[in-house]
Amino acid sequence: MKNWSLLLAPAGILIAGLGVLYLKAHPAVGRVTPDMILGLSYLPWLAAVIIVSLVIQAILVRHKMDACLFPIVMTLASVGVVEIARLKPSLLVPQLRWLLIAMFLMVVLVRLWGRVHRLLEYPYILGICCVIVLFLPLLFGTEIGGSRNWLVLGPFSVQPSEFGKILIVLFLAAYLSDHRRVLTMPARRILFLRLPPLRFIAPLIFIWGMAVLMFVVERDLGSALLFFGIAVLMTYMATGSRSYVFLALTFMGIAAVICYLAFGHVRVRFDIWLNPWQDPNGMAYQIVQSLFSFGTGGIWGTGFGFGHPGFIPEVHTDFIFAAIAEEMGLIASLMLMACYLLAFWRGICIALACQREKDLLLAAGCSTLLLMQAFIIIAGVTKFLPLTGITLPFISYGGSSMVSGFLLLGMLISLSKEQKNG
Amino acid sequence: MADWKIKRQVLRAASVCMVLFGILAVYVIYLSTWEADDLAHNPLNMRSAAARSDIVRGSILSADGKVLAQTEADGKRVYPFGDVMAAVTGYNGEQIGSAGIEGHANPALLGITGDMSRLGPLAQLLQSDRGNDVKLTIDSRAQQAAFSGLGGRRGAVVVLDASTGAVLAMVSSPAYDPNDIEANWKNLSQQEASPLLNRAVQGLYPPGSTIKPMIADAALTDGATSEAEIFDCDGVLDVGGGHTIRESHGEVHGRVNLRQAVTESCNVTFGTLGMRLGDSKLQKAFERFGFAKEIGEEILMTKSHFPEFGKLSAGDQAQTAIGQSALLVTPMHMALLADAFAHGGTIMKPYLVQEIVTPGGTVLQETRPSVWLKATTPQMAATIDSYMEDVVTKGTGTAAKVSGVRVTGKTGTAENAAGRDHAWFIGSAELPARKIVFAVLVENAGGGGTEAAPIARQIIQSLM
Repeated sequence: MKNWSLLLAPAGILIAGLGVLYLKAHPAVGRVTPDMILGLSYLPWLAAVIIVSLVIQAILVRHKMDACLFPIVMTLASVGVVEIARLKPSLLVPQLRWLLIAMFLMVVLVRLWGRVHRLLEYPYILGICCVIVLFLPLLFGTEIGGSRNWLVLGPFSVQPSEFGKILIVLFLAAYLSDHRRVLTMPARRILFLRLPPLRFIAPLIFIWGMAVLMFVVERDLGSALLFFGIAVLMTYMATGSRSYVFLALTFMGIAAVICYLAFGHVRVRFDIWLNPWQDPNGMAYQIVQSLFSFGTGGIWGTGFGFGHPGFIPEVHTDFIFAAIAEEMGLIASLMLMACYLLAFWRGICIALACQREKDLLLAAGCSTLLLMQAFIIIAGVTKFLPLTGITLPFISYGGSSMVSGFLLLGMLISLSKEQKNG
Repeated sequence: MADWKIKRQVLRAASVCMVLFGILAVYVIYLSTWEADDLAHNPLNMRSAAARSDIVRGSILSADGKVLAQTEADGKRVYPFGDVMAAVTGYNGEQIGSAGIEGHANPALLGITGDMSRLGPLAQLLQSDRGNDVKLTIDSRAQQAAFSGLGGRRGAVVVLDASTGAVLAMVSSPAYDPNDIEANWKNLSQQEASPLLNRAVQGLYPPGSTIKPMIADAALTDGATSEAEIFDCDGVLDVGGGHTIRESHGEVHGRVNLRQAVTESCNVTFGTLGMRLGDSKLQKAFERFGFAKEIGEEILMTKSHFPEFGKLSAGDQAQTAIGQSALLVTPMHMALLADAFAHGGTIMKPYLVQEIVTPGGTVLQETRPSVWLKATTPQMAATIDSYMEDVVTKGTGTAAKVSGVRVTGKTGTAENAAGRDHAWFIGSAELPARKIVFAVLVENAGGGGTEAAPIARQIIQSLM
């Protein structure tokens, strides 16, 4: 029973939220017009989402997999769906559809986990795939919203970096656990740093370099930070060597300074972060409007549907957290952050229970990746860190983001099953 | 096999992540609480303006049910009375701010009760998409009569209900038309006649002889004279230092008692009384009648300007007692002075907003009359009131006479630096339905008895 009641939260949020929006759009009592029925055309999709999530929960419970993560993620997703319905009603059905596709792909991944799992035996193939995926936009990319990190495939626009990040977690888990002994072997001492021979850390340096390159060429600071951060954290998890962390941070620092000096758009972003009030209606418009959202919302918010988050450009993707904070207040923003922390902690627990080193690193990597992505974008919209254009996992509008989030979730759930089987 | 070391490292890394996330949460809390007010009220933040434009502004209604301001279906705010009601309704514009009831009752007109804009769902329970209606105490007939009485001349009129303090008319002239004020703003704000100034509550004028009833009250109360004392008026009062005070038009009143001195507006008598009272008793009298007080809420009255009590020469004392010297007061204050004598020594607090009514008809707020000041005793008020009755029946204010109505009054012809004398008339009228008090001021018009008193008569007739 406990497993089922967890799903009440997302179902409640969906039904209550969409109900409020419906009533707000049709305040008059008693009259039924055709467009009122049309306004409910999302109902089949909504029903499908609810039924599929119930089925998935049933599968999870039956196969004794982790039954907490999925409801937590669905809670986040339902907040996202409701907020998108409020911000961009035309995107509600697409978002529900993406949610369905993502859940379906997650089930497929869990089903085929045995085969996918074998990929971990071939770290270099994973690495090369990752590089190819990440470099695709450089060759065939389209610039959308200031970042050249989109691939347009017929009717779909795909963000390869969303999938590249999964590959890089797989690669790091495989590579680091294979070479853990070598990497921890202190072969050389440079000053106070203990480093193994260059050929062993070359792949790591390659990833860091790639992250910087992504930032400079594709102007995708968010993904760059994400890749870099996950590489550093997973390296530390595997080796326990602070030398890598230090080396990486130095490397990033130097790269940041060089970028600041060499590239105008980097400088602009950094200056906006330091002082957005210099140009509040120009370059800093987005972040200033986002800050206004937090201020206007305060503790309790303006009430769902009664704020004006529409002042923020791109509010339904990167800035959805600001919209939620404006209309539902600090209460909701802290709840969402708590959800991310809960999901993260659950993921770390799964990792710690894993028998094999690779699985452990993979589970820890997946959970860290989700938390880090949430951290980077929340910090960005609150001006805690310079603004970066990445999505808020499970909440922002976007197919690529939704699918990759659920794939990460699928891996975590699959790994939770492994532990039970011993 | 995963060993304990790697688990320890994962836990450490996870702890670092969670601590960082926690710091971020603390920062979000800081942003949503500590910084929230600054951000919410930042002038660049259009959100509160947007929230307001979502609400249809309520109407402003007069006591006799006329619409003074309402928002039409296309969102345009219209003022059917235009410049007649400008001093009451005020205006509300995005670029020019707001004034009058539009400004004071803004939250009520928008239906915002208290500051609940950030109470989230709770605020929405109490917020409708149409604001509340504000019903005023204004009687459109009195307002119209006063406005046409002034006839475009610079001046102001205040009419109050004597027993409640309800403002029946508040006129300032020349006025602006709130219907197109935003388009004419630059022109209006530069005009020498300052139409944007609400002269009724913000214009400061020397009261002239209209202050004499108060000086009579002070002199009797403080024992500076008695009703029986006879003053000898030869037209000139020597106030020392080579200065004199003269009667207007070189009149000579001869032997007069206090009653006759009020009726004939005798400067010699009141100059003498002013010197007898001296600084501290004069100051006490002005304070007793509330001239040092503001009213607040919807009536933003300017405080009077007093001569420097304590440093006055005998001549200044005499001048103050006939309403000259450095003494400056608002027409609203003079109407309140009239109320003191017409309402048994008690001044009622003036108010404009009678009630605030929701679109559904529920009365949210109703103003109950309240006492502003107890200025003098009922006996003294009755005495002075009878003096003021004589002013209208056989003195300087006969132009305000209306048959069948007991009218009292006091004229004033105030010398000023700006040119011709200001014409004043203050007083009361006992209408069948209610007793009213009023103050009429016409700038630079000449004699109060000839220029201001007829306007009072027109107002009284309009209410019959």
